[in-house]
Amino acid sequence: MLVLQSSCSSSGEYTEPLPEIVDFNFHIRPILVQNCYLCHGPDPSSRKANLRLDNLEGATALLEDGGYAIVPKKSSKGLLIRRINHTAEDQIMPPPESNLKLTPRDKALLEKWIDQGAQWKDHWAFIQPTTTANANDNNVIDAFIDKRIEEKGIEKMPTADKNTLIRRVSYLLTGLPPSPTAVENFIANKSDLAYEQLVDSYLNTPAYGERWARHWMDLTRYAETKGHEFDYTITGAWKYRDYLIRAFNDDIAYDQLLKEHLAGDLLENPRYGKEDGILESPLGTAFFAMGEGTHSPVDIRQDEADRIDNIIDVTTKTFQGLTVSCAKCHDHKFDPITAADYYAFYGVIESTRFSPIPAELSKDKKQTVQEIEGLQTYMRQMLADSWSDKAKSIQAQHSIKDKQVPSKDTPNYKVIGDFRNSDFNGWKSNGLGFGNGTTLGNPILDKNTEKLIRLDEGRASSKAMGLSIFGALRSPNFVIDTDFIGIRALGVKSTIRIVVDNFQLIQNPIYGNLTRGINTPEWNNHTFNVASLKGHKAYIEILPGGYNRHDYSLPEDAFIEAEYAIAYDEEWPKTIGNDREPNAIGVSSQLVKTVNKQLKKGQLPSQFPALKVMIDSSERLAKKLKSNSFFYGVYDGFAINSPIFNRGSYKELSEDSIPRRFLSALPLGDIPYSAAGSGRLEMANAMLNKDNPLTSRVMVNRIWHHLFGKGIVETVDNFGLQGKLPTHPELLDFLAINFQEEGWSIKKMIRQIVVSEAFQRSTIRSEELAEKDPTNIYLASFPVRRLESEAIRDALLSVSGNLDTTLYGKPIATHLTDFMQGRGRPATSGPLDGGGRRSIYQEVRRNFLEPMMTTFDRPMPFSTFGKRNVTNVPSQSLIIMNDPFVAKQAELMAQQLLAAANLSFENKVNWVYMKTFSRSATADEITKAKTFITMLQNRKEQELPKGLDKETSIWTTYCHSIFNLKEFIYLI
Amino acid sequence: MSKYHNFMQRSLSRREMLDICKGGFGSLAFMSLFGGLPLLGCERPKNNAASNLYLGPHYLPKAKNVIFLYMDGGVSQVDSFDPKPRLAKENGEDPRKKFKVDATQFDNVGKILKSPWEFTQYGNSGIPISELFPHIATCADDLAVIRSMTSNFPEHTNANYFLHTGSGIQGRPSMGSWMTYGLGSENKNIPGYVVLDGGLVPPGGLDNFKNGFLPASYQASIFKSGPEPVANIVPKEDGANLQEQKLDFIKQMDQSLISKMGEEDAVESAISNYELAYKMQTSIPELTEFKSESEATKKLYGLDSDDPHKKGYASQCLLARRLVERGVRFVELTCPNISGFDRWDQHSNLKNGHERNAHAVDQPIAGLLKDLKSRGLLEETLVVWTGEFGRTPFAQGANGRDHNPSAFSMWMAGAGIKGGTIFGKTDEYGYRVVENPVTIHDLHATIMHLLGINHEQLTFRFGGRDMRLTDVHGHIIKDVLA
Repeated sequence: MLVLQSSCSSSGEYTEPLPEIVDFNFHIRPILVQNCYLCHGPDPSSRKANLRLDNLEGATALLEDGGYAIVPKKSSKGLLIRRINHTAEDQIMPPPESNLKLTPRDKALLEKWIDQGAQWKDHWAFIQPTTTANANDNNVIDAFIDKRIEEKGIEKMPTADKNTLIRRVSYLLTGLPPSPTAVENFIANKSDLAYEQLVDSYLNTPAYGERWARHWMDLTRYAETKGHEFDYTITGAWKYRDYLIRAFNDDIAYDQLLKEHLAGDLLENPRYGKEDGILESPLGTAFFAMGEGTHSPVDIRQDEADRIDNIIDVTTKTFQGLTVSCAKCHDHKFDPITAADYYAFYGVIESTRFSPIPAELSKDKKQTVQEIEGLQTYMRQMLADSWSDKAKSIQAQHSIKDKQVPSKDTPNYKVIGDFRNSDFNGWKSNGLGFGNGTTLGNPILDKNTEKLIRLDEGRASSKAMGLSIFGALRSPNFVIDTDFIGIRALGVKSTIRIVVDNFQLIQNPIYGNLTRGINTPEWNNHTFNVASLKGHKAYIEILPGGYNRHDYSLPEDAFIEAEYAIAYDEEWPKTIGNDREPNAIGVSSQLVKTVNKQLKKGQLPSQFPALKVMIDSSERLAKKLKSNSFFYGVYDGFAINSPIFNRGSYKELSEDSIPRRFLSALPLGDIPYSAAGSGRLEMANAMLNKDNPLTSRVMVNRIWHHLFGKGIVETVDNFGLQGKLPTHPELLDFLAINFQEEGWSIKKMIRQIVVSEAFQRSTIRSEELAEKDPTNIYLASFPVRRLESEAIRDALLSVSGNLDTTLYGKPIATHLTDFMQGRGRPATSGPLDGGGRRSIYQEVRRNFLEPMMTTFDRPMPFSTFGKRNVTNVPSQSLIIMNDPFVAKQAELMAQQLLAAANLSFENKVNWVYMKTFSRSATADEITKAKTFITMLQNRKEQELPKGLDKETSIWTTYCHSIFNLKEFIYLI
Repeated sequence: MSKYHNFMQRSLSRREMLDICKGGFGSLAFMSLFGGLPLLGCERPKNNAASNLYLGPHYLPKAKNVIFLYMDGGVSQVDSFDPKPRLAKENGEDPRKKFKVDATQFDNVGKILKSPWEFTQYGNSGIPISELFPHIATCADDLAVIRSMTSNFPEHTNANYFLHTGSGIQGRPSMGSWMTYGLGSENKNIPGYVVLDGGLVPPGGLDNFKNGFLPASYQASIFKSGPEPVANIVPKEDGANLQEQKLDFIKQMDQSLISKMGEEDAVESAISNYELAYKMQTSIPELTEFKSESEATKKLYGLDSDDPHKKGYASQCLLARRLVERGVRFVELTCPNISGFDRWDQHSNLKNGHERNAHAVDQPIAGLLKDLKSRGLLEETLVVWTGEFGRTPFAQGANGRDHNPSAFSMWMAGAGIKGGTIFGKTDEYGYRVVENPVTIHDLHATIMHLLGINHEQLTFRFGGRDMRLTDVHGHIIKDVLA
């Protein structure tokens, strides 16, 4: 557990002999990273004496003061060996003030390595995995593990008994204890395949997805509120949780899952739910939106930088096991990650926009949209055809007229978007509401006569297809350089926002003026005073519905329409000229006006019975597109390349912007993204490139970690130079390759590991083994593991018969104790027992985290935590001893026990043991139980838990005591 | 505990040093004899998962404990410790004609606003203190007032996180967590980091007191007034000795598990954990009852006050003394919940609000300083009084003041502090610092220094970096040190 032993040693001895061949990655680099790279590493800003020891060229270059640090094969000739062995305080390396000291073994290794030629290698994790093992061979995993065990001359522990095995498999695959029936069946099943069948059965229960989704949620800082001052709700966060549970249960391939997280909104062939046909892929992007949200930050640009930094941190740790965030202020001190890499990534996120996203889009809906668009095109075509002769002359007239329009004066305003023509003038229409063009030219019929009265003039309309269909119209980015932004709009229960520096939590104080509820059915000029934000980047967002305390909803009757958006100083301009050339497919607004005049005069035929039918049919279809359920995720914005922020400060920008691209040290890292948007899909593809050395390794290592309690690489989120080295590098590589070959199937990988002998070994260790391998690196026994907070709570519910196994749905409100205070506290508390639902369904409010979860080490949701702490603190004991939730479960269990008819004393104890420990009690345990229960029987009734009959209170006391046994919270 | 008594007198053998470095109960016992030897020669682990391990000081500490009086919301410096006569002269004039006004949280800049309170010089040192704090004023010679504090954030939550964790972003370990990670607690039966919830959890919530990426053992224990001062501290068993009998049974059963499994550190620690939890059930309620305190002591703190908020804060202050007396490393007091004037955040009605808040905390704080002093505890206890930022010298609206991170006043007293000192200087309006600016990082570095911790060396590896409370910043404020 402690890493101290060796670091405390300062004397001359070293126990382990030097290796025959000193390997750079496994022996030398760790010494250099820990002791030398702060001053002689890849970051030039902190480099001393112009010496770098992170590559061969640097280490063997002529030094400023003459001589060479390293002369390969001649350790005595280089200054490195001389300086590390120096006795003078001002000469010895590392210098005394660094508090770093090389051990004699370190020094000997360096010397031997130089004498052997000082061969440099890339960091192991940046070299592609290779394997000679054949996946078809039996027990490849065991072969690799046994090899190390044999090398170390240690003895393997035997296979655990069946009771232990089923408890282990059940908890680790599903997070729940096995049912007593399952235990009996497994014991009774004498088939050779019994164990494999058991594993399969647990992999196929829905509880498997609930357990493994929660593991994943530790990586993506899952929370349902934004924390900070008022702890606002993250719209539909729980839908992402359900998405994960479905994905794990359906064994969605990991490459697909990765792509959906990074670019689920951009996939050409998105994934639809197997059963309900609902669009799944965009739900992955909710992970971008899981971060903290700041209430009214004065420095809005810094806030954007902080948000993006968190996303970069989480994304790179989660998917690549790299700490790219360290390169925010300067090149990474240890890893080959440059500040340019960081800002190449920064641009990707800066070009991405947060948005509510409708949660229940289906393939049918996609079809419906096409049908409606088809109808609308057809109607326009029909009119055009029937007026063809007349139209041609009008068109001709207008081509001349159009060209006369441009005025000579420079207007005192700028158009940000003009929707009076047929297109959106370069704005993005997200979702379905606004469709793919304005209303220009849509036929409008008289309600009574059904005659065509006129053609619609151009405007962007969220009800282009019908009411309560979600859509958002968003402008390109622009830099605010006027006092005002104006938008001509009308609508009901809708919203216009000026999103500055991607800041979303717009409200008072400070930013209240940047959001406007639109609730007037007449055209109005809506003015936004942005004078104080000049120089900031912004975009305009127009959308039906609105945000209530930042939680988005779309009322049935909500809609919004806009004609144009402008930037201006002083007065709203008298006229806003519309001199844009009509585009190739569209009609011009002038043309529509002329047609309307002629229609009014009766110069054009206006009887089109088919129109009415088509309009009705279009409206009927549109009803299918309604949305009333949303989650918070992302859409693509417009490409922005970010400059480097020198020393991490946006106030000190580099001259050049860094093109968006992947990490330069990894394959495809030198190719700029070509997407007009963020480039997230290209990033996902780079991670999934077959030559990427990290993606697969990082994920199989996570799986291994969750099964063995410790990764092959212990630092599961850091495969960089400061991370731990793999204990079984060849095994890791084999698994990484096999994972890809098996179609990135997480279930197959889990199965393969769980059926290995190593996984099935007993936890009981011989004294000799405990001495030879105290930290169980070689897995000659299975490690003892404490259950996670969720598994402990779920087990309490399960054994008491109080577990509601309902899958999915809205979170159960947090139970609030008196100790949970502060702003944003919900008005009412949730139920003490969380409605009996599994822990994954309990609300995660950032500022009101459940004490039982955090006390048993569920990480706080602010960054990626692939590996939980396992602490041992009195507050854990106090919870199980005194928390009313735990006591209540004991009572329920006792009632259930006594309801089971005619159990002998012995059988009662066994009943409890089977439920809690998946085994029968030993004779000794029964004797001790007897003594304990007799003692309780001798107590007066009022000295036992109240409100129950004596028998129930006795057994409640017994069950509560059982919950307090270590065997209950440990996998033994 | 006695195991290490003897070698305090002599130098440690390598073997003994190793034992201590390995942590666990051995070093716990050693450290409970705190004040003895610094753990020279013992390299700090980069990370360790052992939750009860802490590391010991880097050098001889001046302070053993810290009491942090958090003035939530931001006390106005020009109304408390930094008199500015020019405000009276220019009262009612437009500040924008006098100096450049920064963006403020509420963007409602009014006129220059003089202080409604008079200042008087107190003690031998002559530190000027306003009428708001007549009791604290009597301790003037114990205070080192820093008038040049700055923060990076003008909004509460970020500023709170910054003050508490050294970062404006949610989720970092609180300074109390860092201190206990560095030094542990001297009392095995009480947690090392305690927050006394006076009624108001600061904006940003309980994350101000959490352990962040440090193990959960370093998070604050929240104490509340009432029958259950700490969550789940009161046994729920009705009958006499029933809990003991249960725990005996549990212990027996656990022991047989151990004998079956063989040596297993984690499980064994979990067992001894129960003994600690059991003891806490009596040690903590005993702490929060003031039976053994004299009437004079209670009166000194203001426990006899008619003002329920003063009375409440007085009992928090007295409890703070009882905690440090028992070796709790870091105690923070949050503000009372005065309805209508929550915290010091007077965006309007400055006069009423500051007066109500000052009335609640002034006497209890002075009582605490005097009580600590008379018991000799002030020599080993550092008392820190500060808000997250200051307030503007001009009005917000007619009679309030908005947030001002560019300058504010705080004070420290007690262990290692040069009493009767004023450090740093603001401009003639008290709006910006003009001399010796002090950052929150500097404050952290100084607190750690007084506790014997080198702020650059107390690190925890997280996400590929050796994280520090002071990040890459922080200078010790030497001028306020004794």
